[in-house]
Amino acid sequence: MGESADVSAVAVPAMPEAAERHDLLSWLTTTDHKRIGILYLLTSLAYFGVSGILSLMMRTQLARPNNTFLDAHQYAQLFTLHGTAMIFLFVAPFAFGLANFLIPLQIGAADMAFPRLNATSYWLFLFGGLVVFLGAATNEGAAASGWTAYPPLSEIRVSTGLGQDLWIVGVFLVSVATIVTSINFVTTVFIFRAPGMTMWRIPIFTWEMVATSLLVFMAFPSLAATLLLLFVDRHMGGHAFDPAYGGSPVLWDHLFWFFGHPEVYVMILPYFGVISEIVPVFSRKPIFGYTGLVLAAFAIAGLSMGVWAHHMFTTGVVNNPFFAFVSFLIAVPTGVKFFNWIATMWRGSISFETPMLFAIGFLLNFLIGGITGVMLASPPIDYQAHDSYFVVAHFHYVLGGGSLFAIFAALFFWWPKMFGVKLDETLGKWCFGLLFVGFNVTFLPMHFMGVMGMPRRVFTYDAGGPLPTLNLIATFGSYIMFAGVALYVVNAIVSARTRIPVGSDPWSANSLEWWTSSPPPEHNFESLPPIRSERPVYDARVARA
Amino acid sequence: MTVGLRLFLSSAGFGIAIALAYWFTSREIVGTFMLGVMAFGLSFVAGYMIVAEREADLIGDEKNATIQSGAGELVGTYTVTSPLPLGSAVAVTCIGLGIVVSPVIAVLGILAVLAFGALFVIQSR
Amino acid sequence: MASNWLMFLAVAACVGVIVLGLILFPLVRWRRRKGDAEPPQFANNYPLEIAWTVIPLVMVGGLFVATYRAEARVDAVSDHPAAIVAVEAYRWGWTFAYRGGPTVGGASNGPASLGVAQGMPELVLPLGETTRIELWAADVDHGFWIPDFLFKRDAIPGQTTAFDLSPTKLGTFEGRCSAFCGLQHESMLFRVRVVTPGAFVAWEKART
Repeated sequence: MGESADVSAVAVPAMPEAAERHDLLSWLTTTDHKRIGILYLLTSLAYFGVSGILSLMMRTQLARPNNTFLDAHQYAQLFTLHGTAMIFLFVAPFAFGLANFLIPLQIGAADMAFPRLNATSYWLFLFGGLVVFLGAATNEGAAASGWTAYPPLSEIRVSTGLGQDLWIVGVFLVSVATIVTSINFVTTVFIFRAPGMTMWRIPIFTWEMVATSLLVFMAFPSLAATLLLLFVDRHMGGHAFDPAYGGSPVLWDHLFWFFGHPEVYVMILPYFGVISEIVPVFSRKPIFGYTGLVLAAFAIAGLSMGVWAHHMFTTGVVNNPFFAFVSFLIAVPTGVKFFNWIATMWRGSISFETPMLFAIGFLLNFLIGGITGVMLASPPIDYQAHDSYFVVAHFHYVLGGGSLFAIFAALFFWWPKMFGVKLDETLGKWCFGLLFVGFNVTFLPMHFMGVMGMPRRVFTYDAGGPLPTLNLIATFGSYIMFAGVALYVVNAIVSARTRIPVGSDPWSANSLEWWTSSPPPEHNFESLPPIRSERPVYDARVARA
Repeated sequence: MTVGLRLFLSSAGFGIAIALAYWFTSREIVGTFMLGVMAFGLSFVAGYMIVAEREADLIGDEKNATIQSGAGELVGTYTVTSPLPLGSAVAVTCIGLGIVVSPVIAVLGILAVLAFGALFVIQSR
Repeated sequence: MASNWLMFLAVAACVGVIVLGLILFPLVRWRRRKGDAEPPQFANNYPLEIAWTVIPLVMVGGLFVATYRAEARVDAVSDHPAAIVAVEAYRWGWTFAYRGGPTVGGASNGPASLGVAQGMPELVLPLGETTRIELWAADVDHGFWIPDFLFKRDAIPGQTTAFDLSPTKLGTFEGRCSAFCGLQHESMLFRVRVVTPGAFVAWEKART
């Protein structure tokens, strides 16, 4: 700051183009990253809704021991679809949708590097998810071997139905979509930054998406290949996982988790980025430790490639200490991020609008999830906790308490930018309250359920002891969560009806997307401010004052 | 050296290091192979970036660039709408479904993919 | 192993409380009040950032050393176990084949309910002595889990895995399958009965 005296914005010459259409056909043929982003968000939220209903059904079954609401086969399909949908069809695609919308805006570009490929990814994601769920309509039902599909359980002689094959095809399509999208992200960020937007000035969210994309490149090809192997085993006489012919189920474990562990970081890094965007705005301070946050993101990404067999500690055939060591190490850059966010709030001026409430909820929940994660990195602890409700509690805390809360934070924060209207604050605060209370009431008891010996993926449990009470509490919490989500839907409908318009910068924010109108024009920017730091909109606001 | 190149170079270095560390501590072939493939892939990208363009000369990388300096002649227009993405995705999905459900659908899918692929190439000229 | 759990819980509680405090304190102390001026716009403190990288690094280093030691103890397989039992997990039950002794076990029947008198496969172990378990699965992945022992090991087709059990308390304990193995996974229970060495020998003799 303080170089050239020209701090006035410079108009971008208007491109010759037709007026923006809003009919169905224009949405079906769009290549505009903003529309594609919104399609991703709405589709992933729809999958979230379906998967959420599945989880409510599971919790209803588990409310009492020996319940007859669902039978074993139905329950197995539900937890398979729930896990698959939440992971492949909601948490990750929501992040990609958000990134699709935001990245070009945050770096001052007019669109992604490959717009048609971008749209193709979205449709592949939509169809892949539909193919997975199509299994439920077949004779023998949907896939029922868990989202992890371990052979021999997922092999043809045990999982005889079409559902497992449809699961393989659907997840494969989603993998392809994910890889292609990540190529788009990295290319766009590397090549299409506006003048002055050096890599060290891009917002943290964009950096996190670069790290996420790198993870996708390293991890998803393994998934795609592993799915093909399973298909070959099932239908083409393959025996990769069949010990009778020299194969091994452990091979699947290695190959799947080589993808599976980076996948969970794909599901959290973007949301670390979301928190890094929101906390500074509502603390009225710059993000603390920008460089540290970037380095931590890549440290997490790199290390996450080396921890996969901590999902295999109880097999007895992997080098437990190696994986324990690297898993412990990952806690360090994650902690660095936490301290950076705390330092951002430190001596700030903090207000509690809904996005900030969800961000704070994220910090509190992810703290618990992160701590149980460090515990699980210890093999002796894992010997008790693996495949129990303790693990279920852990990953729901980081994905539900973490990613889901960041998702709601992102929705409330960027909704005005996307749709030009604000979500109602009062409804938003109630939504947060219900979700925060409901979430913790649901998942906190699960730590104890696990340590007391309740395994996961069971449709009933011991009638004696504290398990019935704990399960009932968890089910009650899940209904509270449902109310919170329902309130969000109400909020969205209300805001669409009342349509209180917002300007370009309703939150007094920092990054470039807040410069342009809400919603942005088709080509994103009518003008651009000078870019001299990672907060160009803040700088311009200060210069105007 | 651009930030992007440095990113891929250090990632490749890390990949090689962890693959070696894993092999010498565990002597386990599957994990070593996967880490090795990862390291190779990252090295490939880094190598390509070195060969193709060591300095990318991007306007975005100039710290003191003004917005005006990014102005230039019209380099092309974005196609804001196109039927190819939806069509290609339907075609690819048909291939997948067809492999599982019915070969006829798979064959139709392959033909459609070839057709859409050709259209993609033609449109990109 | 309980000591490992307790150590981790203690560290978890300490770290959790401290970080929780660090999160909540700014929210109270520096919440926005009307007319607040813009706060100081600091964004770096390199000594602090280095400290909060190095100190956690040292802490996880310590956790790793403690973990390594605990694991070495738990995973150790003795050269001279008092008994060796080949355990086979299958859909849906357990077979316990005592080397030089009886083969017992069978299908686990009915919904999950501790104390089912018949049809519950039972593993009998001598108190204070080391029993080697050689575990494998006949069909799909299963998990051999005794929650009261804080221990489980996966049973995987095509490989046998060995571990030692050295019970320190008399009594009856629940065992269950931990790895999802199909539609009767939740009822694939077994019972572990720890008896005195004398009673163990008598039991073996009576069954053979």
